[in-house]
Amino acid sequence: MALESPLVQAEMVEAMEFPDLSDRHRVSGVPQTTINDGAGHVVGAVPEDYLVEEIRRAITKPAKN
Amino acid sequence: MEMAEKLLNEQIVEQIREVFTQLDQPVEVLFFGKKTDCDYCDDTLQLIQEIAAISDKLRLQQFDIEDDAVLAQQYNVDKVPGLVIAARDGDRIVDYGIRLAGIPSGHEFTSLIQDLLVVSSRDSGLSEETRQFLQDLEQPVLLQVFVTPT
Repeated sequence: MALESPLVQAEMVEAMEFPDLSDRHRVSGVPQTTINDGAGHVVGAVPEDYLVEEIRRAITKPAKN
Repeated sequence: MEMAEKLLNEQIVEQIREVFTQLDQPVEVLFFGKKTDCDYCDDTLQLIQEIAAISDKLRLQQFDIEDDAVLAQQYNVDKVPGLVIAARDGDRIVDYGIRLAGIPSGHEFTSLIQDLLVVSSRDSGLSEETRQFLQDLEQPVLLQVFVTPT
């Protein structure tokens, strides 16, 4: 997805090496995809359209905090 | 000094060489390490050096997140070891915002190889609908995929 848009960044994070970040996002199952620092998340290797829907939801709902 | 033992055995190297026949356009890998407090920097650097040596379509540059802080910031690298998988277009490095944080072993090793292939192809392979959605984005989206090596 990052390849398709300059606005998208994709980072793969080795959860055990960065426990603080993983804890903050309550990573339980892997892979877990966190969108915009917690605005949305998806657990598991989900179909492409499912992830798109979650991104759409994450960027349209009011920000947390 | 003794030569460091290879992380990838001959058999694995042959398999990667076979997969790398699919490499198309040049890929630039930027490694960011740190001199202290980085358990996996040395192994990650060695691993990516061994991988980059397999194909001349891959080029590796090595940086330090502290000494090269401006560059790290430019590529949004805030963790070590960090890898940026970018495209090389002549002398120009094209950053697509694809990064890995932590040592790419286990499942992540496969993802690393996959990232190299996708960036080399310059084609995401995504559906027309997804591409349209991504091209219509008006705000930044950061996707962080948490994985474990096993």
